[in-house]
Amino acid sequence: MTSAPHFPNYVRFNEERCTGCAACLRVCPTKAIRIRHHRSIRIVTQCIGCGACIQACPAGAVSAATRRPEHIGGDHVAVALVSPVLYAQYPGAMPGGVLMGLRQMGFHHTIDMSFFLEMFQWATDEYIRRNRVSGASPWPLISPICPVVVRLIAFRFPGLLAHVLPVLRPVALMTREVQEQILPGYAETGRKVVLYYINPCPTLAVPPLDQLAAQPLRCSAAIGINEIYPELKRRIETVLASDRIPFSGTHFEFETCSTANAALGAISGGEIANLDVERSLAVHGMEETISYLHKIEMGLLKDVEYIEFRTCREGCIGGVLAAVDKYVAKRTVQKMVNVFGLGSRLPRESIRHQYDKGRFQPDKSPMELTHLFGTRISALSLGELERIERTLDVIAGRDCGACGAPDCRTLAEDIVRGEAALEDCIWLQARRMEKKGLPADAGDD
Amino acid sequence: MAGLRKSFFIKARDFVHAGEASIRVQSLLKSIHFDPRLTRRVAVCSYEGEMNVVMHAEDGLLSVAIDPDRLVLEVTDPGPGIADVERAMQPGFSTASDELHEMGFGAGMGLPNMKHNADEILIESKIGQGTRVRMTFRIQEEGKNT
Repeated sequence: MTSAPHFPNYVRFNEERCTGCAACLRVCPTKAIRIRHHRSIRIVTQCIGCGACIQACPAGAVSAATRRPEHIGGDHVAVALVSPVLYAQYPGAMPGGVLMGLRQMGFHHTIDMSFFLEMFQWATDEYIRRNRVSGASPWPLISPICPVVVRLIAFRFPGLLAHVLPVLRPVALMTREVQEQILPGYAETGRKVVLYYINPCPTLAVPPLDQLAAQPLRCSAAIGINEIYPELKRRIETVLASDRIPFSGTHFEFETCSTANAALGAISGGEIANLDVERSLAVHGMEETISYLHKIEMGLLKDVEYIEFRTCREGCIGGVLAAVDKYVAKRTVQKMVNVFGLGSRLPRESIRHQYDKGRFQPDKSPMELTHLFGTRISALSLGELERIERTLDVIAGRDCGACGAPDCRTLAEDIVRGEAALEDCIWLQARRMEKKGLPADAGDD
Repeated sequence: MAGLRKSFFIKARDFVHAGEASIRVQSLLKSIHFDPRLTRRVAVCSYEGEMNVVMHAEDGLLSVAIDPDRLVLEVTDPGPGIADVERAMQPGFSTASDELHEMGFGAGMGLPNMKHNADEILIESKIGQGTRVRMTFRIQEEGKNT
């Protein structure tokens, strides 16, 4: 359970439950996990929060760092920031009903993220239209929505950061709106406001509890959808069964939701469906994402203008913290769109006006992302790289993972970095035993 | 100081694994925190070179030599060789078969792309004996680690 304190924790490991089976090692796209002394999992600093290890662990030893708060509301003002994935979890309920259920649970404000997704989409249209003329960004542009994709690019494909669409993400637009519209009303009263981001992935770093307590007025926490699913289900049923419309007490348009396409953003292809960009693709799943990023790196896909990447299968509904099966959720979304059609809430003109004022411009440059994620592993020197190649020849293993590293190459790297020993390889040990009597030729220096 | 030399095998007509040799070169470069923009140029060149072997040759080799001041990519194959190298360098010129065109290949941009992205390119080819494409990338002081 150790990890460098200045890096965010996306996942938690339970060493007592871990059986040392190495299932998590293999699925980690950034090779961030090692097993030491058979059972203690150690996560190195390059975790990008994809949640693959949570899904892969047969012993339930890995969980998201999200936390279900004991009391929602009560001593503080609770603001729910609602991912569209939540709407896809409850067949038969409309997005508005889901938000009403949340308010019954104790949330004072329910912020519909799909409102900001629409804003984002129109800003994206605008950026792409202008980029056709200016050529400021290289094609294909990459959607900035999935944070795991952006971290993956910063970590494994830093040369592609210029492809990441420089438009503020829906979650950033949403948080800013809350800060500007809702928080000032409470600032005078001195009441503490907590923003709860209800979402399907472990990607939001959760600060330690004591840090949360240190922030007097505003703080934020992430809640996995699966943590509130059953209670919210009961609340929604009550709302649906009631013949009176409960008092909603909302002040802003983005606190409710009456359009059926609100949940569309939860499935793969939902982001580009509303874009005015014909040459766009939606790619989902970690393997496919990596494979397409390789293609872009090698100069392919230049005739595509925009790619929606999601590392989870089927899009965000496939997130590890979703409660309902992703294919059931997909069906729910499709049915909602079929029955109620698509609609839009925002006047395009006002978005364009805001766009010109720079309201969609991100404050972080891609280079800052590289600093955050790209340099977590120190560079190898050419000499070290050569030693790794030689060590690999000596190991001549089978990528079995028994040493505690995900593959032979990573073990060789760890050995050269002084973090593992050649003796960790069981293939090498076996061969040495066979040739007993001969001096073991280590080959490493 | 000693640099690094490494070669990767390229199988002809294997479209399923095409690009993998290039990806392995990329990961080598990333592990030494090679300049991202230069990595990108090397990636385009190694991929185009690899695809040329997959499409036209009888197997081949993608070799990389990294030294403190330069990186050299070499794509070699034992045949059939390029009849007219100068013509092959013209954008849009392609000898790809109809079948390859149907698969979306053969735009005739391979060698021009390589020429565009490498600092130097040298092509030696003899019909019946094979082809060697040698691309050199100069490494500037900043943006690289040794």
